[in-house]
Amino acid sequence: MSTTPRILIVEDDAVAAQAMAEAARDVGAEPVLRATYADGLEAAKAGAYAVILFDRMLPGGDGVDAIAKVRAAGSTALVMVVSALGRAANKIEGLEKGADDYLAKPFDPDELRARLRALLRRTTMVALDNDVVAFGDLEIRMKARTVHVGTTHIAISPKEFKLLSYFATNAGALVTRMQLLEHVWNLHFDPQTNVVDVHVGRLRRKLEQVAGRPIIHTARGEGYVFDPVKVAE
Amino acid sequence: MRGARRSASLRVSLLVAAVISAMSLAAMGLQYRVTAQSLDARQAELLAADLASFAALYEQRRIVALREAIEFRVASTPPAQVLYLLTDRGAKLAGNIDAWPAGLAPNGSDFAATGAQVFALAGVEYVGVARELPGGFPLLVARARTDTLATLNDLRQLIGWVALALVAVSLLAGWGISRAVLGRIGRLNALADRVAAGDLSARLPAPARQDEFALLQDHIHAMLDRIEALNRATHRLSDSVAHELRTPLNRIQQRLAGLGEDDAALAVREEIRATVRIFDALLDISAAEAAQGQRPGLVPVDLSELAEELADLYEPLAEDEGMNLTTALEPGLHVLGERSLLAQLLTNLLENAIKYCRPGDEIRLGLWAEGDRIVLEVRDTGPGIPADLRGQMFDRFTRAERDRAKAGHGLGLALVQAIAARHGAKLLLPETAKGFAIRIVCPKLDATA
Repeated sequence: MSTTPRILIVEDDAVAAQAMAEAARDVGAEPVLRATYADGLEAAKAGAYAVILFDRMLPGGDGVDAIAKVRAAGSTALVMVVSALGRAANKIEGLEKGADDYLAKPFDPDELRARLRALLRRTTMVALDNDVVAFGDLEIRMKARTVHVGTTHIAISPKEFKLLSYFATNAGALVTRMQLLEHVWNLHFDPQTNVVDVHVGRLRRKLEQVAGRPIIHTARGEGYVFDPVKVAE
Repeated sequence: MRGARRSASLRVSLLVAAVISAMSLAAMGLQYRVTAQSLDARQAELLAADLASFAALYEQRRIVALREAIEFRVASTPPAQVLYLLTDRGAKLAGNIDAWPAGLAPNGSDFAATGAQVFALAGVEYVGVARELPGGFPLLVARARTDTLATLNDLRQLIGWVALALVAVSLLAGWGISRAVLGRIGRLNALADRVAAGDLSARLPAPARQDEFALLQDHIHAMLDRIEALNRATHRLSDSVAHELRTPLNRIQQRLAGLGEDDAALAVREEIRATVRIFDALLDISAAEAAQGQRPGLVPVDLSELAEELADLYEPLAEDEGMNLTTALEPGLHVLGERSLLAQLLTNLLENAIKYCRPGDEIRLGLWAEGDRIVLEVRDTGPGIPADLRGQMFDRFTRAERDRAKAGHGLGLALVQAIAARHGAKLLLPETAKGFAIRIVCPKLDATA
């Protein structure tokens, strides 16, 4: 990476803006803050940003309405809406209007960091069209939808394969339960039960039984880290 | 509704037609009577004139003169116009018929034109006077009613045609009137339909005339404006609630993160998450209720596929809890809906079942078509619902006393009901010998549509 990526934060609540700026720095980016819709839109059109965080109920407008304008101005930034309008219906509306991600307030800083990392990874990632993705002796064959450790084939269900591929694209980084629900199951609401844990647990057991070492690590509180080459601490 | 509307229009058309026709027919009937009376009077005058001239001759030379006059008249008038007969003890003295018509009795012996009788002879109707002159000479003087009857017949035919034309014209007029009147009502009904279908901003163009209908339209427009304003206010309120509560909660969460990660902080974070879930559920319920019956936002959803996905999602969780989650899903069943809401409905039902069942219980997710309906059923062998709660189990914040220890806020089934209503579906609680069962019956969408 040649230069530090810049993240534009358009948020009128000072405490939230501060938390976002910190999260941006934590993921190795430089935050730029704006507090109104007009200022935010102007900055988004003018500057080169890797990611733009847009609030919705801003003085002067709704960040979701800015997405099309920012894109029309030629920006390649990925847009994450961070809003108090956090129901499933609001999220789907935002995603349908072109947001790359949608985070509801109140958010956990870990969740924001995980999502920012995932977005930054998307901006820098070379298209992952390799058929075989390897992490040490763990090999994921994308076309055949199979997974091997060494020469041993591990039988997993199609859903588990989808789960594993999402982990693999975010290898080494925290992946939250909410991200998994959204990307693997296409569900945008928060279920009462931690139903995702059961699925991750099953996949984890299958992988670890063969590999003989931890592949998916539990991150305190919010989610998981897929890191097949990391040595257990 | 549409059929009733048509029949109202038909009723009005028929009523208008019937009134116009009845009045015209009554008028023509009256005229017919007057005409008939006047024709009869004319005939009576002719008959009286005949009799008067016979009377004058009879005054001079009695039967002989009468006989000559009759012979002369018979010779000078066309046949079947008049009848004359003078007899003497059954033998004909003069006249243009040979025998006295049967059933006709002489009355009186003078030449007055009173007591005229109507009778038929050889298919022709006559009106005439039968007398027996002094000395025993029966005399019949009659005139055929052929012309009168023909005229009246013509008149009747004319009335018939006019009546037919009248009925046709008045039906047309009735149809026109009812179309004009009911058409305007129909436009208002169409407006109401559009509003009911979710288009709150639907309005009619300004009417050309200021009349009662225009006033009605103004009133309806005013009502709709008010509803629209209230609706907007409600939406704004929900948005404000979300914003005004989530923003401070967000600050709490950000400051909490600054305090470091320990078990207490994790617990508070969980509480915040649970709080957010409550007002998400409340806002979801309001939004689903507000959108009830509206088409916009609904797309075809493969309910079979969605049910399969969610069963797959929850099956391992149920298994870990020692329950057995099975499915019986008919494939390819589509509904018009919102995928996310339907997923939420299924999630709530499955999570409820898993929450209340005990190890060893069975949970069954069923989906099948019944005619033009789709039935979605979740059935379990768990503890069921306490009888005293059955009536209010779909109310917000209803929880059974025995479940106080379990996590939850009593919003799950309220949301299920609101989502079902949003999709035009009905909730049924089939009786079960053991456990709990709930059915959602929704309109089926043709997969090909």
